[in-house]
Amino acid sequence: MNIKVDERKPGVFVVSLSGDLDMSSSPEVRNILLPIFRKKAFHVIVDLSNVPYMDSSGIATFVEALQLARKGEVRFSLAGACRKVESVFDLAYLKDIFEMAPDVDQLIVGEAERK
Amino acid sequence: MTFANLKGPVILDIPADPPAMCIVRALVDTISARIGFEPAQADRLVLAVDEACTNVIRHAYKNKGDERIVVTFSIGAGSLVISVRDFGIGAAPETFRGRDLNDIRPGGLGTHFITSAVDRIEYDNPPGGGVLLKLTKFLPEEEKERN
Repeated sequence: MNIKVDERKPGVFVVSLSGDLDMSSSPEVRNILLPIFRKKAFHVIVDLSNVPYMDSSGIATFVEALQLARKGEVRFSLAGACRKVESVFDLAYLKDIFEMAPDVDQLIVGEAERK
Repeated sequence: MTFANLKGPVILDIPADPPAMCIVRALVDTISARIGFEPAQADRLVLAVDEACTNVIRHAYKNKGDERIVVTFSIGAGSLVISVRDFGIGAAPETFRGRDLNDIRPGGLGTHFITSAVDRIEYDNPPGGGVLLKLTKFLPEEEKERN
């Protein structure tokens, strides 16, 4: 699993994942993703466009992130999930819980910069 | 449906180590596609077997990667039977229960993914310890006959 964190705009963090999100890689994703919510973030986006597979450990990581986001009033979004990954959210009845977009740019555009 | 004439099961014996799970997934995917399951059904089956193996690593072996998991694929008599055998701490079948999906929290989804992907789940505590989990999925033609 390759993980890249990029602050695209002040307070807008994009976490790009590449590879299978499973029991093997989820702990690393969790360790990188969750501390971002404690930074001066107001929007955290996870780019899933290069994630071909996800299991329940991936879902658990994102549920944990969502809980932190709600607690810290941070916007949390998932972008670019392929059909296979999206179906796992569906199967868990969690698709409507997350803000999901076709790609990162769609979420970034229109995101006002905060001072 | 050439797989229906296979002379015996396909057996995969792998380390109970998370990086090895991609091998299980690839094999479930290949067999499911060759049998003729729809892509969405095959995806669910891949997820189910992956979650079953993950449960073994986490609960039966307590994340000790030097143990083994044996996954056996038996094709025939209208069904695909995938058996997941471990040699760890035997668990009572009643502990194999999913959580309430209205409860939004991390964890506990694996069992739900398994039960929603297959038609039948059976357990056994075979000699030598551990658990034998048998997941049965009816073959597409068999499913058509049932509907």
